[in-house]
Amino acid sequence: MADRPSPDFGKTVINLAALVLVLSYALPYVYLVSTSLKPPADVQQIPPSFFPGRVSLENFATVIGTAGLPNAFVNSTVVAVLTTLLSLLIAVPAAYVSALYRRRITVIFLLFALVTRMVPAVSLGVPLFQVMKTLGLLDTTLGLVLAHTSTAVPLALLLMSAFFEGVPKELEEAARMDGCTRFGAFVHIILPLMPSGLAITALFSFIASWNEFLFALLLTSQNSKTAPIVIAEFNSVYGLAWGPMTAAAVLYSLPVILVTLLLQKQIVGGLTFGAVKG
Amino acid sequence: MSERRFVLLMLAPAVLFLGLLVAYPVALLVYNSFFEVELINPSARVWVGLANYADALTSKRILETALRTLQYSAFALCFEFIFGFGAALLFSAISGKSNWHRTIFALPLMISPIVAGLLWRFLLVGDIGILNYGLSALGIIPNPKAINWLSDPDIVIYSVAFADIWLTTSFVALVSYAGLTNIPKDLLEAARIDGANALKRFWHVTLPLMRPVIAVVVIVRGIDALKTFDLIWIQTQGGPRQASEVFSMNIYQRMVRYGDLGEASASATLFLAFMIVLAAFAYWKIWRTDNG
Repeated sequence: MADRPSPDFGKTVINLAALVLVLSYALPYVYLVSTSLKPPADVQQIPPSFFPGRVSLENFATVIGTAGLPNAFVNSTVVAVLTTLLSLLIAVPAAYVSALYRRRITVIFLLFALVTRMVPAVSLGVPLFQVMKTLGLLDTTLGLVLAHTSTAVPLALLLMSAFFEGVPKELEEAARMDGCTRFGAFVHIILPLMPSGLAITALFSFIASWNEFLFALLLTSQNSKTAPIVIAEFNSVYGLAWGPMTAAAVLYSLPVILVTLLLQKQIVGGLTFGAVKG
Repeated sequence: MSERRFVLLMLAPAVLFLGLLVAYPVALLVYNSFFEVELINPSARVWVGLANYADALTSKRILETALRTLQYSAFALCFEFIFGFGAALLFSAISGKSNWHRTIFALPLMISPIVAGLLWRFLLVGDIGILNYGLSALGIIPNPKAINWLSDPDIVIYSVAFADIWLTTSFVALVSYAGLTNIPKDLLEAARIDGANALKRFWHVTLPLMRPVIAVVVIVRGIDALKTFDLIWIQTQGGPRQASEVFSMNIYQRMVRYGDLGEASASATLFLAFMIVLAAFAYWKIWRTDNG
């Protein structure tokens, strides 16, 4: 017993190390937020200070008053919501039969979905530009929604089929004994059992669309630009306007961070799973 | 309704959609790669066979870009893995119910690469980048202007990776942590009773059991890093000159700036083929064998 030197000391050291590590990891983002709260003149002062000398919301006012940016946030939201709805509508029925009616065609189909996850965005974006041009959908919300859905569907498929795999096949059979059709069992019996699976899949589709950059860069030019595109333009056009830029970045990322902190467990679960299957 | 018909009906929307918006565009990409064709007028095209591929494989700029993409990915992956796995080990060493460190660590998990890139550009840029002030205050560099992270062509490809490392270390850490918690406690306890010290337990018990998780993390992150576009785009747009131009960016530039749809398509096809081969190889070699 006595040969183990005080375990409390070791524990304190580990806890302290964890504290330092975690705090330094969060530091860059804290600095972004603290910069966005500085008066514009202080943002570029030399040498830079970590905390604002005086808190000001001027950068946020500038961002909200900048032509195009509030509009871009609206576009981003609309595109992400429509992408989420469309990809769930397409992916959930396919995931259901892939999990509960395993046959050769569903296995081939899931494999195909897996392969599409390997396609680099640029390899899909180059021909999609031509497709959207032919369809007259360049620089439209619909065009961007279709492009985002093309990458959201495979992810939603793989996630949802994993959730459906937890459903015993007997449940579906029992429902059909009671007079449900196959489709009725799916809609009325099984789907209501998986609100959390649907919510997580929806969340992942939403955030993937919200964060997407390359398709938006290729496929939009004037009317349907999304927030990341306008922020990137801010970056190159105003080059040195760091104050408003940090404020825009905070507005764009804070909702995502809050959701992540609230649903951390489910998100890590989904990502771990996405990693294993993706 | 017959079972067969039901399955086909439920699959149909997804098959149609992916066929129209993934399979057809990819076929179009491959088709375009055999033509000399401009973006502005894709209907005027001249069949050139494999000439675009020959050009791509002999172009110095493209080969440099490919090599740079590998450099970038290897650098980013290496540090993400060391930091992420280290953090996971630390988290699992802290027993008890408290999980606030993991909560804070999850913070960047879903942040857009655009925000990470913008943030790190701000930390590194010119004379207001706070990182250099920090380093010079600690005496690591002589003055705040000693390192030009984003404008020195010799180091820029590594500097732009900092944002990637910061952004995805949390993914590596939390996935590794989930893997570590799945290791049976009695296995480690048995090894301890047999007299294995912490290092030996790590090397002979933890690491072999973690192999599948490590394989998955390396594959997923490796493929993501090879595909990187936005994170570097927002920091340097590939500059100075082409010193931080990666493969995706080169394809984008040739398509949008030079309008050369044929050549861009040939490179994009090669890129796609490389990714699929890499993923298939990784899947069969590492994942399969580990799952038995």
